[in-house]
Amino acid sequence: MDTGEPLFDGDATPDLRDASQVTVRAPIQSLVNEQAYAVLCVQGGGQPYGALVAFAFSEDLRFAVFATPITTRKYRLLSECDHVALVIDNRSGPSSELMEVEAVTATGRSHVVARGPEFDQWADMLIARHPYLKSFVRAETCALFCVHIVRFLHVARFQEVRQWIPTAHS
Amino acid sequence: MDPDRPLLIPLDAPGIPDEQIVGGKAAKLAHLTRAGFHVPRGFCLTTWAYEAFVLDAGIVPAIRMELGRKSMDDMRWEEIWDAALRIRSTFLTQPLSRLLQTTVAEGLQSFSSSTRLAVRSSAVGEDAAGHSFAGLHESVVGVCGTRAVEDAVRLVWASLCSDAALLYRQELGLDPVRSRMAVVVQEMVDADRSGVAFARDPRDMRRDHAIIESVPGPCRLLVDGLVDPDRWVLDRATRDVVSWLPGQREDSDPAPLLQAEDLQHIVQTLLSVEQLFGWAPDMEWTGRADSLTVLQARPIATVVPDDDEKRSWYLTLRPGDARLKALRQRIAGQLIPELAATGETFAAEHLEPLDDQQLANAIEQRSQALVKWKKIYWDEFIPFAHGVRRLAIYYNDVVKPDDPYEFVGLLRDQPLLATQRNSVISQLAQQLASNPAVRTAVEELLATQTHALPWSDCRDALLQRGEAAEEFVHTFDELHERFLDVTFDNERLREQAGPLLRNLVELSQSSSSPEDRRVSPGHASATLEEKLLVAVGAERRAEAIEVIETGRVSWRLRDDDNLLVSRLDSQCLRALDVAATRLRALGRLTGDGHLDDSYRARLVCELRESSSAVITVEDSRKSDVAQSSFGSQGETPRQLIGQPASPGIATGVVRCVSGRDDLGKFRRGEILVCDAIQPTMTHLVPLAGGIVERRGGMLIHGAIIARELGIPCVNGVRDVTQILKNGDLVTLDGHLGIVTVGAADFDLEIVK
Repeated sequence: MDTGEPLFDGDATPDLRDASQVTVRAPIQSLVNEQAYAVLCVQGGGQPYGALVAFAFSEDLRFAVFATPITTRKYRLLSECDHVALVIDNRSGPSSELMEVEAVTATGRSHVVARGPEFDQWADMLIARHPYLKSFVRAETCALFCVHIVRFLHVARFQEVRQWIPTAHS
Repeated sequence: MDPDRPLLIPLDAPGIPDEQIVGGKAAKLAHLTRAGFHVPRGFCLTTWAYEAFVLDAGIVPAIRMELGRKSMDDMRWEEIWDAALRIRSTFLTQPLSRLLQTTVAEGLQSFSSSTRLAVRSSAVGEDAAGHSFAGLHESVVGVCGTRAVEDAVRLVWASLCSDAALLYRQELGLDPVRSRMAVVVQEMVDADRSGVAFARDPRDMRRDHAIIESVPGPCRLLVDGLVDPDRWVLDRATRDVVSWLPGQREDSDPAPLLQAEDLQHIVQTLLSVEQLFGWAPDMEWTGRADSLTVLQARPIATVVPDDDEKRSWYLTLRPGDARLKALRQRIAGQLIPELAATGETFAAEHLEPLDDQQLANAIEQRSQALVKWKKIYWDEFIPFAHGVRRLAIYYNDVVKPDDPYEFVGLLRDQPLLATQRNSVISQLAQQLASNPAVRTAVEELLATQTHALPWSDCRDALLQRGEAAEEFVHTFDELHERFLDVTFDNERLREQAGPLLRNLVELSQSSSSPEDRRVSPGHASATLEEKLLVAVGAERRAEAIEVIETGRVSWRLRDDDNLLVSRLDSQCLRALDVAATRLRALGRLTGDGHLDDSYRARLVCELRESSSAVITVEDSRKSDVAQSSFGSQGETPRQLIGQPASPGIATGVVRCVSGRDDLGKFRRGEILVCDAIQPTMTHLVPLAGGIVERRGGMLIHGAIIARELGIPCVNGVRDVTQILKNGDLVTLDGHLGIVTVGAADFDLEIVK
């Protein structure tokens, strides 16, 4: 297993298949349905930063939503740079079989959703997925971010990577 | 409905149901029904129904969120109570699914809509040998109608996570999330005699004795401890009465409640139940002769004493209404006036003219009084604090508000001693604000202060400034006399005027008075009272008024008692100081350390029997250098979590307050960090930009005052007084219960 490549780095193995091969949507959909948390990747001043967030995706997978207190690093960084990635995988522990692990990296651009009907819509979607976060999401000091997903990179069988652009088929 | 996972099982259904499905109580009742005993008819909502509800309503993650905030080992009882209140609120505000509604309706089909029902807990393992949850889970009696039964079922389910049940489960190492609760719904059967019978004497488990207890009326009067029962000891072999102890009841008829025939019938039934189950039962019963009905049977608790004591202690934390009423009458009518009078008497006593023997006696007398009142504090004042919590649960059960702390508005505007003191402090601050010359005079006094600044010295100096200072001096005299004879961290506040004068200068520079700062996050007290009374209905109006009044008195006196006991503490220290001054003058006492109660015995001994030994008062005060638990190299705190006790967000520098001198160092806008806001320091709250406390709870002083004044507060932050240091920059988020340490900027990582 000496590949010299980092695991699950879609960009490191640009084995991108034809975007028209839409069957990759199903495993992506499964992952975002089955998993509750994603690693949010942000950056600031050239420094990458990651944090675990509870997420929800719109049915068409074109949008993702998550919440964070306004006192956090990720909030500060997202205020400066709206380019984000969300990494979601199905590992269940250290003994996960490598060839059974799947991961998806969703990239896109985020914006803070202002309070109002749009906020309520996204907040309801997030709360429906994570009911225990209701008071957190609704707290005045919590910001709701909506990510407009540009691209999915799905990784399976260690190195098999497929790309899907949700807007390409809408 | 999945036939393998029935949601409802009638008590008279064929076969003996599995305890894992119906819980211990229902399984035994079903067994008794099948064996032909008289048992009130009814049905059981199984643990599958409970699981369906908690899954539908998303309650499991809500419980995990509440109990996962920090280790339960680190949670104070008040925090567990708060978590239990929020969990209870989640249970009560979630509707039953259509399937569960249909199931309940199906179960109720055999009852008329006016049948009075009892809705009772039947948790899995509830009455297992080795531990007993008796009294920890709830039962609701006198329930009529489908809607009321649904509400009662939710209440019983919620009691799986009551504060006492959570604590007891923690002791037993049981996971509350994995625990399951079935519910028994039965027709109520109340006869003129009810009681409890034991197949062994539960005090010593003697095999040759059985015990029967009886009260006039329903069994809950005995179980809830509201009526003292008649008590018989019977010989199991001969069934003869060994002894009879009449209950102590008002207007009690001296005749025994049960006749010989009744006793024989009960003991016969008791022994039949024992034979059926194969263990010695504790049996609740009602009625006599042929109408004798078994309400419940379980093994006599053979718990180890320690476990039983703990369960009993948890139960004392929530006294029933009758106990609360009795406590209220005794505390408000007798104890608080007596405590206040004791403090007055000690304060009025001139100690300096006393000879050594008399002074030694005075010290001992004060010390004994303090010990006595501290015991009363623990035994009666603390249980009475439940009056506020009883009000919370009563209000939430009836009104079902979105905010489980909405009821706190009912406690507003109570004439607390601390509120009265803060009002005088506010008045003084306004006098300084409107009279710059006096303020300058005070500032000059403080600037020249090199050591202790007694009020008498300040007073003289200020009066020399002429008439302008007179009003201030006289108001401060009032404050000094009425409110400062208390201790803070084992020091008398009266001894030094400096800290309070500094606070007054700071307060005088505030743009508004504390009253002006007051916000109204909730409704006015009268509005909430009306809301509750309307919701509860005319029939229970008197009961609701009683609960509200007890809650208010509980809230007021639980604040006042702290200050009144603190006054006794202050008077103990005063007597020790007089003794120390006297012995110091004779060269029999040296050292400039802090004199506290640990020197009392030696001082008394020295006063009574002069010896050649010299007492040295050493400085044993704790260092105020914070010992951070983030002590290892490279490890620093970034985000601390606690309870969101008052909403808002604030950034500021930390000021830790643990001793008297810290009070005077507090500056406007600083973040007040302390173990807990004491009633003796609530005047600092209006100065604070935010508050962080180690002690947690939504109903503790700091949280409630902060909410009233609209100051962000996070409490229940583990080790915070060790972690944060004076001058640390923090941002506290009172909406989410987060304290962020350091600037919120993101540092670019640079390899050095």
